Amino acid sequence: MFSEVKFTLNGKKIIYQGDPLRRLLDVIREDLGFTGTKEGCSEGECGACSVIKDGRLVTSCIIPIGACNGSDILTIEGIRDTEKGECIISSFAEGGAVQCGFCIPGMVLAAYYLLENNPNPTEEEIRMGISGNICRCTGYDLIVDSIALAAKKGEELWKK
Amino acid sequence: MEEMMCYIPENLEEALAIMDERDAMPLAGGSDLMVSGANGTGVNPTFSRPVVIISNLPELKGIKVREDGWTEIGALSTSREIAECELVHPLVRKAASQMGAVALRNSATIGGNIANASPKGDTPQPLILLDAEVVLKSVRGERRMKVDDFIIAAKKTKIERGEIISSVLIPPSTLTHCYFRKIGMRRANAISKLTISIGAEVRDGKVVDFRASSGAAGPKVIRSHEAEAILIGKTLSELPLYKEEFLDAWNNAISPRAMPEYRRGATRRMLSFFIDEISSGREEGIIE
Repeated sequence: MFSEVKFTLNGKKIIYQGDPLRRLLDVIREDLGFTGTKEGCSEGECGACSVIKDGRLVTSCIIPIGACNGSDILTIEGIRDTEKGECIISSFAEGGAVQCGFCIPGMVLAAYYLLENNPNPTEEEIRMGISGNICRCTGYDLIVDSIALAAKKGEELWKK
Repeated sequence: MEEMMCYIPENLEEALAIMDERDAMPLAGGSDLMVSGANGTGVNPTFSRPVVIISNLPELKGIKVREDGWTEIGALSTSREIAECELVHPLVRKAASQMGAVALRNSATIGGNIANASPKGDTPQPLILLDAEVVLKSVRGERRMKVDDFIIAAKKTKIERGEIISSVLIPPSTLTHCYFRKIGMRRANAISKLTISIGAEVRDGKVVDFRASSGAAGPKVIRSHEAEAILIGKTLSELPLYKEEFLDAWNNAISPRAMPEYRRGATRRMLSFFIDEISSGREEGIIE
């Protein structure tokens, strides 16, 4: 089994050669070494492996690399040094959103996707936005507050 | 040399040729298949049959209203696309918007949801209420059938060798009142414990059409034309007289296995609520 899949990861062109059924998550972590994306439930339910594929938040554990031909993929490594990424990450630090940290790359990506599409979310909309991201430490409240803070701090940023 | 077990065709014609030749199965969003074929971290998923990745086939994308008034939903339309599309009937949009969570709704497709044929599936239930049809394509041509006929039982469909669901067709709806409810353990990422869609067409105080469909209450989504016939043709003032007879007939039609008392009781209460609402002259629209 050998196929070629061309895609971009964090702006860099990648040519993957191998089994098209390999999970996008394994290509990102094992093959390309971007270990910010985590593996949790392996069933697309916990959100730890969230990435942005062609502008949409997806869970990379249930996507075969063969479905990524021509795709543009962003992981936490691709957004953390951008203005928007820094805005969310500094808000998470300021708001005390992080305890063990395992869910946080996924949470940051979910927050990024939410604010990109809804720059001024209500608390309910924030909770909906991260409803597919499970955190076993915080009880969510400080994460929700931190995303609200990111919306407020980055006001002009999210309207671009 | 090892035979190919996975293909990435560039167009539908190529996909259908491989589907037929290799007796393959299509993979669209991956949300069901990638879990069932999973082998753990770093080990690639495997399947008993060759896989054709159809995720990027342009022929299976897009939602439009056709000239005959039917809404055509490409099989690769994701739950988010359906939930956001104003061309789609509100019952189907509601069901799609409550599937899984944000990321899942960006991957899971309506074609996959129907092909998976789970009685707990989110979209087949309102589609069956609306008499929606699937379009099946293969190298032999095309056939159409009602979603209700296509799904035979849990995980069993009438799909034949080499066939792909290419689109879902929803007939124009004349329903004036609709109700949809999904009951799960939590609001996100919940597999349905029980779902129901109910619809009625009320004209000049008369019930011209009445339909319901129950999900997760039997081996497949349940409709009962016999029970529906009890209320069709009655006036709104007659509805209370026939309500109990209808509720009993619906109760006989469903066959929930786990927690039957709960599922039967909740189904009865939701149907009763809807009938009470329309008989009291409730204005048209979605009844919450």
